[in-house]
Amino acid sequence: MFFEPFIETIYLTIVPLLFSCVFGFIIGTLIFIGTSSILERKSKPITIISKICDGLVNILRSIPYLILIVWMLPITNFLTGSVIGTKAAVPALVVSATPFFARMVTIAFSEVDHGVIEASKAMGASTFDIITKVLIPESKPALVSSITVTAINLVSYSAMAGAIGAGGLGFEAYQYGLARRDESLMFIATILIVIIVFAIQIIGDKTVKKLDKRGG
Amino acid sequence: MIKIEHVSKSYGDIKAVDDVSLKIDDGEIFGIVGYSGAGKSTLLRTINQLEKVDEGVIDIDGVDITKLDIKALREKRRKIGMIFQHFDLLWSKTVLDNIAFPLELIKVDKETRREKAKEVAKRVGLEDKLDVYPSTLSGGQKQRVAIARALISEPNILLSDEATSALDPKTTDDILELLKKINKEYQITIVLITHQMEVVQKICHRLAVMADGKVIEDGRVDDIFKDPKQDLTKKLIQTVDTGLDVEKMAIDLKAKYPEGHLLRLTFDQKSSGEPILYEVGNKLHIPFNIVSANIKNTQVGPLGVMYIHIEKRHDIAKIIEELQKDEVKVEVI
Repeated sequence: MFFEPFIETIYLTIVPLLFSCVFGFIIGTLIFIGTSSILERKSKPITIISKICDGLVNILRSIPYLILIVWMLPITNFLTGSVIGTKAAVPALVVSATPFFARMVTIAFSEVDHGVIEASKAMGASTFDIITKVLIPESKPALVSSITVTAINLVSYSAMAGAIGAGGLGFEAYQYGLARRDESLMFIATILIVIIVFAIQIIGDKTVKKLDKRGG
Repeated sequence: MIKIEHVSKSYGDIKAVDDVSLKIDDGEIFGIVGYSGAGKSTLLRTINQLEKVDEGVIDIDGVDITKLDIKALREKRRKIGMIFQHFDLLWSKTVLDNIAFPLELIKVDKETRREKAKEVAKRVGLEDKLDVYPSTLSGGQKQRVAIARALISEPNILLSDEATSALDPKTTDDILELLKKINKEYQITIVLITHQMEVVQKICHRLAVMADGKVIEDGRVDDIFKDPKQDLTKKLIQTVDTGLDVEKMAIDLKAKYPEGHLLRLTFDQKSSGEPILYEVGNKLHIPFNIVSANIKNTQVGPLGVMYIHIEKRHDIAKIIEELQKDEVKVEVI
């Protein structure tokens, strides 16, 4: 009985997560390049793109998810060929998780020790070198933590995606619990969500621990 | 040769570096000292253009690096090593990969750069720490990794930004010895900034003293230690001489020997090699009593400060004259 919604929740977490990480990483990096004072030579176009991204992230992060779903209906229809169902929930989930992850990427990069970036510049590193060979490796634990948090956010968002018939455990709990007043089934659905969240967190924490060589 | 000519740099209304001109010869160890906020760190960073100058020229071997475009500048930076107070290693890389990092940047293949890194690691005494991460190292070891990382590109110039300031005295000495060795063996010009006069005294050939963005005094270490002109320089030197305050020392001795003459003699490398005091004392038949003495070895030779006491009945004009003939700096206290 819970197998299908369980799979739907997993789907609604993993698929948007993949897209959000890719887009969010690019946008977060662009914002960092444009706003960080420690990098050299910023071309005008990059600074402008970075500013636009920064604004867009703020706007998208302030729109409630349910409203986003409604506003995005035409785009969703264009992308997935439908406005209802599990697949149709993906674009809105991506659009809501991407700005969040982008912000986390910018924060992760800005927390990399400025001394190390300066030392790399002194060694003749280009901005591209600094991003690929310094910022990404040095912020790996923070990036993995960000992926973990984003994934957990997606689990809870996916419950709301039930509103457009996306299915999933959250919607199941809502249907049984509130609509049919079957509290034991609601309870089981909720417990399953809790288990998913714990699993994501544990995997995330273990990975961070393995990657972090800072000691102490 | 590094020629810094009329370099200025401001942050808003604050002039961090104010019309500084310095010449640093090939193969020398040049120290820039001053209290924090004096502008020495900014000045050092103009040499590899981590700080852009507002005005002035920085000529390195005939090239004004303030005029280079970013690509040419990066090329040039590869031949200017730099080490820092907080080491600035990548925690995510092993010691070996940290040392090899500059070669990774110029896309040297993994095998070659690791071979080279092993060689350099040996030179700085890190051969048994290659596969560990920096977080497991002590401060001194971390600085050795940073030095190896700077050396792997075979630079002509090494910039040192308070490289020993975060280290304990024993480790500081070890690192200074290493820098001295590098300077001698590879003829690398070292420009270092520090607030510890001891560092300058131990390894520098020449020094410049900075205050409020300006160089207020510069010259050979022995000359400046023997005869500092500026009050700030005197103050900085006094922290090294004996580890005690020279002025306080004078007051204490004066209290102890209220009668007679108390002289402070400062020797440099020429005068400290000779039995001058003995000769002068014998010649003039004036008995003297050494009440305090301290001789330190510097890169350019020994430097010493000595206090002698002479009884009241003797004429000290002659003794001063004789000592000055032998290039001893004499001060009556």
